[in-house]
Amino acid sequence: MNKYILSRRTVVNDLATFYSFLIGLFIAVCIGSVILLVQDQNPSNVFSLMLKLSVGSINSLSSSLNKAIPLILAGLGISIMNSVKLWNIGAEGQIFLGAIAVNLIYINTAISNPTLYIIVLLISGFIGGSICILIPAITKVVFGVNEIITTLLTNYIIIGLTIYLVNGPWKDPKSLNFPAAAYVGEEVYLPTVFGRLSTGFFVCVLFTFGAYYLKEKSVFGYEMRIAGGSAMTAVYAGINAKQKAFFAMLIGGGFAGLAGAIELLSQTHRVSIGISQGFGYTAIIVAAITGMRPIGIFLVGCLFGALTIGGAVIQTIGVSSYIADIIQASTLIGALVAQFFFTYQIKEVEDG
Amino acid sequence: MVDIQLMGLLNATLQAATLLFIAALGELITEKSGILNLGVEGMISIGAVTAFMTAINTQNLFLSILVGVLSASIFSSIHAFVTVILKQDQTVSGLILTILGLALSSLLGKKYVGKKLMVKIESIRDIAEPSNVFEVLLNQNFIFYLAILLMITTSFILKKTMFGRRLEAVGEDSRASDSMGLKINKTQFIATCVGGAFAGLSGVYLTLSYVPFWTDNMTSGRGWICLALVIFGGWKPYRTALGALLFGFLEALVPRLQTYGFELSPYLVKITPYLITIIVLVVLTIYKEGKTGAPGNIGRPFFRENR
Repeated sequence: MNKYILSRRTVVNDLATFYSFLIGLFIAVCIGSVILLVQDQNPSNVFSLMLKLSVGSINSLSSSLNKAIPLILAGLGISIMNSVKLWNIGAEGQIFLGAIAVNLIYINTAISNPTLYIIVLLISGFIGGSICILIPAITKVVFGVNEIITTLLTNYIIIGLTIYLVNGPWKDPKSLNFPAAAYVGEEVYLPTVFGRLSTGFFVCVLFTFGAYYLKEKSVFGYEMRIAGGSAMTAVYAGINAKQKAFFAMLIGGGFAGLAGAIELLSQTHRVSIGISQGFGYTAIIVAAITGMRPIGIFLVGCLFGALTIGGAVIQTIGVSSYIADIIQASTLIGALVAQFFFTYQIKEVEDG
Repeated sequence: MVDIQLMGLLNATLQAATLLFIAALGELITEKSGILNLGVEGMISIGAVTAFMTAINTQNLFLSILVGVLSASIFSSIHAFVTVILKQDQTVSGLILTILGLALSSLLGKKYVGKKLMVKIESIRDIAEPSNVFEVLLNQNFIFYLAILLMITTSFILKKTMFGRRLEAVGEDSRASDSMGLKINKTQFIATCVGGAFAGLSGVYLTLSYVPFWTDNMTSGRGWICLALVIFGGWKPYRTALGALLFGFLEALVPRLQTYGFELSPYLVKITPYLITIIVLVVLTIYKEGKTGAPGNIGRPFFRENR
């Protein structure tokens, strides 16, 4: 009798991740269609409307790209931490603390040159994100506490802090029903270039190449990979694995913090609970789906930004915006399934 | 003299703790087999919404409970399939389960927001203002007692039965267990689905008893606390129950603080459970020199190379 066993493929296609993504997207669209059909909606109508309203005009395309900024930046931060084989589930909190840091600096300083002021505020956001991950980073490298749980718990702490600030010390008396801090002045708004596209998008492009260089080309990136790969190899190579892990975490948190700063200065213009709508979690999908590659994160981030905008606008015809979430999550499940067939094969062997 | 209504506080503590504990116990069983499932939040949501929908449509409590438990268990089999059979990353898969579960439950429950439940799980005896501990206990419903029963049986099964010992062996060292002839995939698959069923029961408790209505994201982060509870409890059922009582107490305390005359911001008090969990985690890790009681193989896919 023959039996079937699983074996790892010796050669894995270079484009396996890309093909897996396409297969995942296809599966997700199928799942989305079934859900729409169950709800008595015509899938092709809904999808074409989503497409039209997310990339069909300059305004909608630029809105989609704006939505992509936090997904890409937080995703890049997650991928940098993944170089040392650490998970960052705390991007959501880092986005919030980034925005809080910007507002804190904005309230307490005044710089007359707007360009300089904006740069200072963006840096504050980056530092805010790093501060957010400081406790998980210290407890990880000093005591070895699981970073998945600590980064996750900081989300709830920081969101709690945000709710406290916008209901208490920072509450703007003018915003009556919706608790929020006062608006920042127009002089620090990130200017828009064409349509609604914020200049934050170019910061995002810059940081994508920065992350690519850092991960793939720099000495630090090489050392991070060794430190994340094997503790013993790192010791032999004279690499301080804990130090690399520590800095990878601070940089990763900073990227997400910068996302919060851009979101504040270009979209919401004030601190409120609406700074992030789960961007930190979606960013994990974006990063995972691309196999943690910066350029891939940029492209998938743009696509998911469009999906989010598409999901938001189809609410007007009575379709739940959660359809976008479901498509994003199913794309990743589909991609994982496809990835399996690229990395493993099922062999038939003779028993005994 | 401030009236602190101790019994009312105890009552609310037990209810909040029951909700947290059942899902945490399920996650404990899953993690014992070496599978980390970060999807607790999503599984509770699925259990909660399906039970609520069934209760609205059929007004049959038994059926609602069954549907809630089973649908969460079936939902968790996605994680089992992706991680056990396909050997993919457990962190990623668990997160998808959370995102997908929250989105799906919002989609399913859209028409049910604001609907009034005609049937709910009744307490053993309904006592509006319990005056002693005995009356507080009577004021709980059968799921509370079921939770205690599950705690005792789970602890017994893990320690004293072949199934429990095998489960731990698989989670501790799957390679060695495999060479002993244990069925790794089957054990892990079952453990994940059992974890899903427990989370589903938590969801049932949430919508059919704790807050008898449905709104989006009504799990509000409790699933993540359950994950922290397992670590807090050092992967032991009784200690996990203690943790659930502590967190339940804090959840019950927050809305009462102002009536007690404290000037603390309720928003800041709400974040204390999370701070405490981090501190407990750090203390546990230092105290046990890294041996927190975590199963040796947790989070690592088991793959048997060709033999």
